[in-house]
Amino acid sequence: MTHSLRKYMLAAASALALAVATPALAATELTVQRFFGACDAEFGGNTDVSKAVGECGIITSLINKFNTDNPDVHVTVTTVEWPGYDQLTAQFAAGDPPDIVTVHHSVLGDYQSKGLLMPLDDLLKTVGVSPSDFTDASLSGVTKDGKIYGLPIDNWTMLFHVNVDLFKKAGLVNADGTPKLPTSVDELMAQAKQFKEKTGKPYFVQNLANEVALYTRNLYTYLFQQDSDFFADPKQVKMNTLEAKKVLEMYKAIYDNDYTTKDLDYAASINAFLAGDGGVHLNGTWVIGDYTASSETSGTALNAGGYAVYPYPQLFSGKKAQYADGHSWAVSQKDRSPEEEAAIGKFLKFFNDNDYEWSRTGHLPAVKAVLESDAFKKLPHRDTIAPIATLGTPLPSTVQRQFAIQDIIGQEMNAAITGQKDIDAALADMESRINELLANI
Amino acid sequence: MSSMSSGRIVGRSTGDRIILVLVIALALIMMAPIAWIIALSLKDNKELMTDMNSVFHAPYTINNYVNILATSSVFRWILNSVIVSGGLTIMTLVLSSLAGYGFARLSFPFRNTLFVIVLLGLAVPEQAVLIARHQLFSWLKFHNTYHGLILPGLAAPFGVFLMTQYFRAIPKELDEAALLDNASRFKIFWKVLLPLTIPAQATLGIFTFLSSWNDYFWPLISGTKKEMYTLTIGIASTQTNFAQSEGLGFLMSQAVFAGAPILILYLFFQKYIVTAVSGAAVR
Repeated sequence: MTHSLRKYMLAAASALALAVATPALAATELTVQRFFGACDAEFGGNTDVSKAVGECGIITSLINKFNTDNPDVHVTVTTVEWPGYDQLTAQFAAGDPPDIVTVHHSVLGDYQSKGLLMPLDDLLKTVGVSPSDFTDASLSGVTKDGKIYGLPIDNWTMLFHVNVDLFKKAGLVNADGTPKLPTSVDELMAQAKQFKEKTGKPYFVQNLANEVALYTRNLYTYLFQQDSDFFADPKQVKMNTLEAKKVLEMYKAIYDNDYTTKDLDYAASINAFLAGDGGVHLNGTWVIGDYTASSETSGTALNAGGYAVYPYPQLFSGKKAQYADGHSWAVSQKDRSPEEEAAIGKFLKFFNDNDYEWSRTGHLPAVKAVLESDAFKKLPHRDTIAPIATLGTPLPSTVQRQFAIQDIIGQEMNAAITGQKDIDAALADMESRINELLANI
Repeated sequence: MSSMSSGRIVGRSTGDRIILVLVIALALIMMAPIAWIIALSLKDNKELMTDMNSVFHAPYTINNYVNILATSSVFRWILNSVIVSGGLTIMTLVLSSLAGYGFARLSFPFRNTLFVIVLLGLAVPEQAVLIARHQLFSWLKFHNTYHGLILPGLAAPFGVFLMTQYFRAIPKELDEAALLDNASRFKIFWKVLLPLTIPAQATLGIFTFLSSWNDYFWPLISGTKKEMYTLTIGIASTQTNFAQSEGLGFLMSQAVFAGAPILILYLFFQKYIVTAVSGAAVR
């Protein structure tokens, strides 16, 4: 009896120990690092993604839902201040990078060229995600040396955000009431002049102070529209060109003729546009939601006559194009177990499957099927910005240090447009500074 | 005599009044941005985005502060900052005092050369040694540890210089009297000289604590795990991409929240801080 009892107790203890120690029961841990901020108070426990709004709310809710739906995987999230690349570079240097990390398409090459990122072609194939699922713009953004180095989740670009009421007052509307946008540089200048005369306000609302990105994105867009192959050699830019000069002269004329707001930083430019201080705000896809909400609130400047948004107009005779970038999930290169790789695959597939939810942020979906879906088309203003999926053009994928290049271009353009530097000198300095940077990689 | 005295008093009083008015005006100018930050922090983000003038009228809200406190790790980040800044301050004071005493009072080979080498540290910007230090700490597995965040700050040439000068200014007769009483070198340092350096230590301690509390770049690249963030890194990580326009109220509440511990410290230790800073300045 005593012997039997001892035997049963031993068996029970063994079973308990086995159950506790069985690796299969332990969830696979994944570390995910992202920007987009933290919003734990509002969405920290939310798993109903349809109720989430904004970049932070949607990405937080998506990861919460992934953790709930996949008890065999546990994702630990570290949020970093945008864009987080100093931190990421330091983590790679210390040999302790996160498993999955948000990276701009334009920055993927910086890490991929050093062998720090894992090519995802095989992993995506195993979870049933095909490159042909992606839009052309997003696929080209994440493809480096013929391989995919990030799961694209969106494309974003700068847009013409239009105060329709002011356009009506300026007499710049088509018969159907839509804003009349220019089709050439001369037409742009003429419309800007007419706008100012009729409304007393500048045509453009721009953030020209403490800014580099807007200048650079504008320049890239209008260089693409002139078929300028300024990065034919990814290590040798050609900026001191006639095409670049035309763009800078156009923006300088806009500045000199007061067709734009001046001395506004990013935040002030948003406030100025929402207050009705100008006709066109040059800003990204991410403000569509906020501007739409403002236009639906009575008493606001955008409510008076409506809000519309379009890709940049084609001002030159080259190919139809505009600069675009995007966000992706990249995976760090390190030794992993098959379970860990499978967990990463699950995570990437989950985001691919939920690309519609992410597209509610205002960014353009990376998945073709979502772009073509009725649900997406029903979102406000998506019909007018959908062409970005084909117009969107990134810099060649082999160009490295694109954020640093952006700083140089922005500084030189600012100097030229505001009259602190001669345009030719600014372009020459821009070119030499970028080439010096690229030569020292 | 009486009228002269009275005139001097009146004159001084007028001067005092002018100075008082100027001081109040300067104080208001200096406090205006702080008041602006606090006012913005009490407004709803969406309201600020559409109408900045809304800051001058109700409704006000404490939701931005609630949102900070709801961030699960914020108290851990405060604790990390207290440990790092407190630890660094204590250790800097110990090391700088000992080194300052040594350079000021003890004779040993190459003392002056060594002192010059220490002072040269003042001329080396942190950025120049950042990569080498980061690699060294990677090799030593010091990243994402408290000592990894504290150790770089212990190389404090300014502290050594300050304490050396302070010890040098104390009359040597005090040491000699203690030596005659058979006191050891350490006893002289600990019992006789160290208490006289309290104003300098307070100054050094305050500056060290403040600079460590506000430090951003080294904690950014060394304490990269969320649980090792200091408060500055933690609150920056919670900002949305376009916080300055779409989350201005939250951004300002973060600034107030990060600065509040320093302000509370100041309120408690105001007397000592003012004495320390003015004492150091006089000396």
